[in-house]
Amino acid sequence: MSASSFFQNRERNRRHRNRRSPFQQWLEVLAIGSWGGLFLKYWLTGKLYLLIHPNYFGLTVVGGIGLIVVALLRLLYLFRGQSASVVGGAQHLNLFPPLISSLLLLVTAIAGLMVEPRAFASPMAAQRGLGESSALTRTRPQAFRSQTVPEDRSLIDWVRTLNVYPEPDAYTGQKVKVQGFVTYPSVSSGLGDRYLGITRFVITCCAADVYPVSLPVKLTQNRAAYPLDRWFEVEGRMITETLGGKRQLVIEAKSLKSIPEPKNPYDY
Amino acid sequence: MNQLNSAFTLFLSLLVEAIPFLLLGVLFSSLLLVFVNERKLIAVMPKNPILGALVGSLAGCLFPVCECGNVPVARRLLMQGAPTSVAIGFLLAAPTINPIVFFSTRTAFRDQPEVILFRFAISLAIAAFISLVFSVQRDLRPLLQPSVVWMMPISRTEQSLAATSSPLLQSGTFLLGVTGQPQRLDATQITFDSPSQKPLADKLVLFLENMVQELRELGAILVLGSAIAATIQVFVPREIILDLGQGPATSILAMMLLATIVSICSTVDSFFALSFASTFTTGSLLAFLVFGPMIDLKGLGLMMSIFKPRAMIYLFGLAALLTFLTTLVINLHVS
Repeated sequence: MSASSFFQNRERNRRHRNRRSPFQQWLEVLAIGSWGGLFLKYWLTGKLYLLIHPNYFGLTVVGGIGLIVVALLRLLYLFRGQSASVVGGAQHLNLFPPLISSLLLLVTAIAGLMVEPRAFASPMAAQRGLGESSALTRTRPQAFRSQTVPEDRSLIDWVRTLNVYPEPDAYTGQKVKVQGFVTYPSVSSGLGDRYLGITRFVITCCAADVYPVSLPVKLTQNRAAYPLDRWFEVEGRMITETLGGKRQLVIEAKSLKSIPEPKNPYDY
Repeated sequence: MNQLNSAFTLFLSLLVEAIPFLLLGVLFSSLLLVFVNERKLIAVMPKNPILGALVGSLAGCLFPVCECGNVPVARRLLMQGAPTSVAIGFLLAAPTINPIVFFSTRTAFRDQPEVILFRFAISLAIAAFISLVFSVQRDLRPLLQPSVVWMMPISRTEQSLAATSSPLLQSGTFLLGVTGQPQRLDATQITFDSPSQKPLADKLVLFLENMVQELRELGAILVLGSAIAATIQVFVPREIILDLGQGPATSILAMMLLATIVSICSTVDSFFALSFASTFTTGSLLAFLVFGPMIDLKGLGLMMSIFKPRAMIYLFGLAALLTFLTTLVINLHVS
């Protein structure tokens, strides 16, 4: 084969590889468009709160709009019957055949549209380490308001305050009103069945980095009335107790009011 | 069932964050393909590997992409014939050395300026070093995926072909240039069929087609990578990783492992690292911040679209060793 026919063949092959059936071209446009749609759906239905910190909503929204714009423009060219394979030059990879990768994207996007993402619950809290240490990982509180009225503090405010000045006696007697979901402290913590944990996840960026914060609650009755993962607003006052050989701050509950799971279950 | 649901939520959360950056990377890649003349691009690239490594590593300042967006751009650079040192420097350093990451790291570690300084210095040094190592290999083709090699400029193959055939008696159309060497017309025309010389309407079609194809292909790989990362995160308790150790060396290993598994985007990883700041050594936080943007589960698949497995092992091994050694020095002698 002469050198020139080698290059001509090569060029022809390249164009041939690039040619996908019209069905495949429609499918890839659909796959990309559906991801754009999925992003916007999460944003509009408020489900984005479950996935990412509100600071980064803009990223997802712009990304979703971008995907839809790309898909629509490509659709326009498909309607006109224009394809870049005529122009040549665009290449593509074979880690996956085009059909498989389009299908994979489309199927996951459809799964995303059909299966609602759900907020993490107690098993995740246990998995991420619902211990004493996990509440103490953050070095500095992002906002510290010593003037705050105690009952205005959220759960995370309490945990941060406690990090800065960890002497439980300093808070004894202060009023508490916090919201969170129910977790049951592990047996090793020395808390009996009259105690439960009131817990919330803190998110710094996306759901990959959520970590739980929790405070023990002392009940007047058995905790069986308060099922796992149910959301409650706990009102009461702070007391100091020695539990499992350790002095710690405990909420003595006056009332637990069942509340619906908030639209934005995380704290910041 | 609950575990599965958590894994699915985590999976979506990784994608919601990563796909916008992939879109940005694919946009840059398509712009490079369609609107930048590859010969001009190569002409301005430094031939010297050291300079090339620095230029590649600092190019992230111009193309602010994270570790999902850098792959399409680095791959495009290789395909356009940019020197190895530039492309690999960009691949490794761009996710860290760019204005967005600088801003987020500064926000998170305002009280520890040494973390900010070391993060950028170490990332730059490691990226430059690895790209130097790779540029020793004069012809990178054996390490690359065939589809990337296919698109690379043919000049070298052409030369080797010319060398094997007789210097006399060649058929074809020749141009007698001023250099004295006759230039073969038919071959060069095909070789330099650069999209940047086509009319604007064609460019737009090609631009869109390329974006769609890269999004489809890399998006699918990203989906798989995120699924693996989410599954491991849900089914392997984090305590197991963190309990690996608190010592000067073991803490670094634990945080490097965590960075690989969590696969969090480099633009926001400093906030995540901050939550470990009180319990982990400074060196291990740096290891997280330096190694995570270079190598993670979510991104490994994307890198496999450029390199053959052998090259991936070299890249992974070098990056891990260098991160470990530099941050160990910091743990032992600086902080």
